[in-house]
Amino acid sequence: MAAVDELAPEIARLFHAKEERRRKLAALPWPDKVRAVVTLQRMAVPLLKNRDPRAQVWRIEEDDRD
Amino acid sequence: MRKALEALNSLEREGVLGRYAVGGATAATFYIEPVLTFDLDVFVALPFKEGLLTLAPLYDALRDRGYQEAGECVDIEGVPVQFLPVYNPLLEEALAEAVDVLYEATPTRVLRAEHLVAICVQTGREKDRERVRLFRAEADLDMDRLLGILGRHNLEEKWRQWTS
Repeated sequence: MAAVDELAPEIARLFHAKEERRRKLAALPWPDKVRAVVTLQRMAVPLLKNRDPRAQVWRIEEDDRD
Repeated sequence: MRKALEALNSLEREGVLGRYAVGGATAATFYIEPVLTFDLDVFVALPFKEGLLTLAPLYDALRDRGYQEAGECVDIEGVPVQFLPVYNPLLEEALAEAVDVLYEATPTRVLRAEHLVAICVQTGREKDRERVRLFRAEADLDMDRLLGILGRHNLEEKWRQWTS
């Protein structure tokens, strides 16, 4: 983090906030993080589906809401 | 996801597969921030058949249950599952020492964070290196355990290169 601390205070604050957000994400319960992965898949599939045949969204919403 | 894990537990109970554990990006997501993946990597111990390690009986049993192959994966309850037989001593150790966890109320197993890091080091792709960076920044790694694993599997030099 030393290099970040040498940046302008506003930029350093933004980087610290980003790190803090990642730590909070890492601390979420696993099922919540898997749901976040599905959200990432929804965002990525339109971009990747033509070049990566594996790119598809998991169909798990229903079973996780039971 | 829960239904896919329940299906895996059922396959293990019925002896279709031996001990299993979740690995790869989905296991990493247990310890660090969510990372994009499209398949669920499942490490399995498979029974040897006539001296060969083969996924064929597992795939036959999955087909009998209505689960269809999709490329390298099998679609289990909406999740593309890639079965990976443990094929080297590091993976054998990782599977043997995988930890029991709950996904909501469903029991399952994930590889330990330290084994996931060592597997990244052994695999050595750019995305593995990035994952190691995330583990070091976000996971609560047991460094004694990790250094022991890296030593046992001759990965110390590469670890030094990646972390110096």
